[in-house]
Amino acid sequence: MTLLCFARHLSLRHGVLALSMLMPTLGQADAIRQTKGNFEDKFRQLDETLPTANTWRNAAGQPGHEYWQQKVDYRISAVLDEANRRLTGTQGVSYLNNSPDTLTYLWLQLDQNIFRTDSMAEMSDDFGGVGRRGPAVEAGSASTPARLSLEELRRQQTMADVPMGYEISGVVDSSGSPLDFTIVGTLMRIDLPEPLRSGQSTQFNLDFAFNIVEEDAVSARSGYEHFPDDAREGGNDIFLMAQWFPRLAAYTDYEGWTNKEFLGRGEFTLEFGDYEVEMTVPADHIVSSTGVLNNPAQVLTEEQRARLSAAETAARPVFIVTPDEALENEREASSDTKTWRFSAQNVRDFAWATSRKFIWDAKGYQQGGDVRPFVMAMSFFPKEGEPLWSTYSTESVIHTLEVYSRFSFDYPYPTAQSVNGPVGGMEYPMITFNGPRTTLQDDGSRTYSLAEKQFLIGVVIHEIGHTYFPMIVNSDERQWTWMDEGLNSYLDGVAGREWDPDIPWGVEPADITDYMRSQDQVPIMTQSDSISRLGPNAYSKPAAALNILRETIMGRELFDFAFKQYANLWMFKRPTPADFFRTMEEASGVDLDWFWRGWFYSTDHVDIALQRVYEMRLDTENPDIDYDRRRQEDAAKPGSLFVQRNVEAGMRTWVERNPEVRDFYDDNDRFTVTNKDRNAYNAFLEDLEVWEREALDRAIAEDKNYYVLEFANVGGLVMPIILGITYEDASTEDIYIPAEIWRRSPDSVRKLVVTDKQVASIVVDPYWETADVDIENNYYPRRLIPSRVEAFKSEGAGGLTGRDLMQDIKTELKTEEETAEDAAEDAGDTQ
Amino acid sequence: MSRRAARRKFLLAACVLPGVLWLGSVNEADAHQQQAALTRVLFNGRSGNVEVMHRFLVHDAEHAVRQLLDPEADIIASAPAREQFAQYVIERFSLLGLEGNTLPLEYVGQEIDGIFLWVYQEMPIPVQLNGLSIIHNALRDLWPEQNNLVNIERDGMVQTLNFTGTVEWQSVTFE
Repeated sequence: MTLLCFARHLSLRHGVLALSMLMPTLGQADAIRQTKGNFEDKFRQLDETLPTANTWRNAAGQPGHEYWQQKVDYRISAVLDEANRRLTGTQGVSYLNNSPDTLTYLWLQLDQNIFRTDSMAEMSDDFGGVGRRGPAVEAGSASTPARLSLEELRRQQTMADVPMGYEISGVVDSSGSPLDFTIVGTLMRIDLPEPLRSGQSTQFNLDFAFNIVEEDAVSARSGYEHFPDDAREGGNDIFLMAQWFPRLAAYTDYEGWTNKEFLGRGEFTLEFGDYEVEMTVPADHIVSSTGVLNNPAQVLTEEQRARLSAAETAARPVFIVTPDEALENEREASSDTKTWRFSAQNVRDFAWATSRKFIWDAKGYQQGGDVRPFVMAMSFFPKEGEPLWSTYSTESVIHTLEVYSRFSFDYPYPTAQSVNGPVGGMEYPMITFNGPRTTLQDDGSRTYSLAEKQFLIGVVIHEIGHTYFPMIVNSDERQWTWMDEGLNSYLDGVAGREWDPDIPWGVEPADITDYMRSQDQVPIMTQSDSISRLGPNAYSKPAAALNILRETIMGRELFDFAFKQYANLWMFKRPTPADFFRTMEEASGVDLDWFWRGWFYSTDHVDIALQRVYEMRLDTENPDIDYDRRRQEDAAKPGSLFVQRNVEAGMRTWVERNPEVRDFYDDNDRFTVTNKDRNAYNAFLEDLEVWEREALDRAIAEDKNYYVLEFANVGGLVMPIILGITYEDASTEDIYIPAEIWRRSPDSVRKLVVTDKQVASIVVDPYWETADVDIENNYYPRRLIPSRVEAFKSEGAGGLTGRDLMQDIKTELKTEEETAEDAAEDAGDTQ
Repeated sequence: MSRRAARRKFLLAACVLPGVLWLGSVNEADAHQQQAALTRVLFNGRSGNVEVMHRFLVHDAEHAVRQLLDPEADIIASAPAREQFAQYVIERFSLLGLEGNTLPLEYVGQEIDGIFLWVYQEMPIPVQLNGLSIIHNALRDLWPEQNNLVNIERDGMVQTLNFTGTVEWQSVTFE
């Protein structure tokens, strides 16, 4: 029984899009696409794609009941030779084998070896190639010469003049017996005298030394920066020490030894452990470090210690070393040394910074809770960072802790630090390196632009955010950049918007549409060293995807609960992508396999087009009602143009010229109701079951509007369809259609929408929340969307953002007389 | 980590034209400085123009202007600083016909929208254009990791060129 029939068929102005875009490539068959038919299973579960669950990582995305990870404790003593920019150290390592396996050797990471002229990174450098770290070069072509930058020359000269990389010696076991070791590029294998069985631990010692790279010269994540213009003759340095000691490579359940050569892009895969570190530096240096300072009485003045105590409860950051004191320190160097001693528990790495240039401020963060009720937030920066740093750095650290902890767990460490140096932004446990500086003016003051302020707050949030992901939720950076950068970019957007929503932060879905529609892409699920465009691929796209999950697909409550589960389950553990995907599903009860498949495993983009809208009215089946409606519809159609032109020409028809000749059909049109029709209607009513009759009567009484909307999935990525409907009375309504509408027909679907009021217009994705790349095909009726150039030309230069506000604000207000004079002059000009 | 480039100046290597300096200048990048710009080349049938829309992150642009032109530039507050940046960009972006003839783009303007600075150019759609060659060196002379993605959008289809590393110019053909 058909109750609906098409009364009007409203086709949109634009035709159906080329079908070729929607067709799968013939001949490629897999579990998703078959050789028979065009169906593509966009909702196929990820069963074959994700690794099989086991006792170490279960199918719910949790650490399994036999989850294990190694534990590595370090005791390091290091001496900085400031004049020669050289670090020497000796370290003792205690390695606990929690794995079920017996180990016959250990692998260490010798990251400093990447700076050797014979390193794989250096020797495999594609001159001027894609994604290269380091100074600029350009390969030549038939018509253009190759180009080297002066900096590249400096880099090569530096590496030639000063031997870089580790000098390793004294590798001995706990009894002092030498251990065999083999250096393989940025890795070192130590052969154990006895197999190390599950549950056993072993100890060894080694000595190391290396010449510290000039960060600017080689584009490292650490190194020194020289300030030649300081008052002290010869200038001063800031030393940022990271990847500075031989670190144990991780041994994991999913990859065994993570001994993939360090090529510069894929960052680090590390084990948790406890550290006791002492560093001997010039006596006038201030040291910032992972961990807690154990000997403040030996290295800090009484006044500095008193200021630290005051900072614990201060409302605003307190200077431990004031700008004036730092300036005084800069003037001359001490020939004495001091040894700073730090300890850190349960950290995956250890970094520090030292300089006599450091201004130091601190403010206590009363976190509350049982885990770490009090955290000391601190910043270390030279005068070149003032006054920006003392205003915002430490405050940004605390803001980050407040926001991130709400989405994950209480910050577990005693300190959180932001250090200014030559590195633009880099993270380590409890300590981050951040680059923003201020501008020295002719009058001796230092100022900063709004963009630099945003840079400072943004980069501190981002890098302190990394102390959660991946410093605590210890994902494998060498393999998956997105697991820390994507998650962290999502959260830094959350924290930024809570800092000041008037400053633009984070990644909006609309920001990534041009990248997502581009033809040259790799999926997010690509190993770090193989990604061609790291920024959009590993930062922006996953951040936007998580935003969309939270705001559009799961909702904040479910997303936040699941994300917090993930963070807490994997705190101080090592998650893989599958663990994240599984936990988000398990904790929310939302099937997200289609989302992971589309956003993380494919290069599809979102483009949902509203192709057609069919407007319908319910037939009553009562001929006395329906036939008259048909008559009206017929009358509403345009008449024959032929007949109309005849009338306009004054032609009189035969019927008009012979009015006396009439019959039945002149008085009864084809919509005339007869009793035969009424009898059929009555018989139809008689046949209806009681419930059918009730449904029909109610529907007729309500007389709603029925619309069938036809959508095409142009981009390939299945997504929810969000409709913004405007009715003829100007009221509006939003309708959410889950992505699952596409499950059996991923290219094209229809949706029935029943409304009380007549629809005037419909738009898909009215709030630009799904990263739909083509807005123009989202509208019924079609709307012409001006390009940015068209809009710019019609609206002028950028509206209010185009003003030179800082200049304009100096303008003096004119008096009435002056205004009148201007008007008179203008009038004169036009005459 | 965030990504950062060191200070750089270019010079020509000795292989072809020894000793000729190609000067860039100094600066640094950061966490948000993704060293990735994006350009749409849109064949807009409605306006009859090829519209070129360059998108840069605001403080990428500020750092570039500071390195190249004015160490104190404030790109958000200063329209002249933005204009300087726009000029820098359009001097490093070219559209050419497949025969190598330069197509004369006109500068339209620049504006800030959120975290992005946009620079606009346009020209009438040439008749009988069977393809385009593109050069896009903006910021690549400052930061070697700079990546300029160009989407050429014509008749509803997108073709993409990626300018990074050694790439000097690339072409697309139209059917």
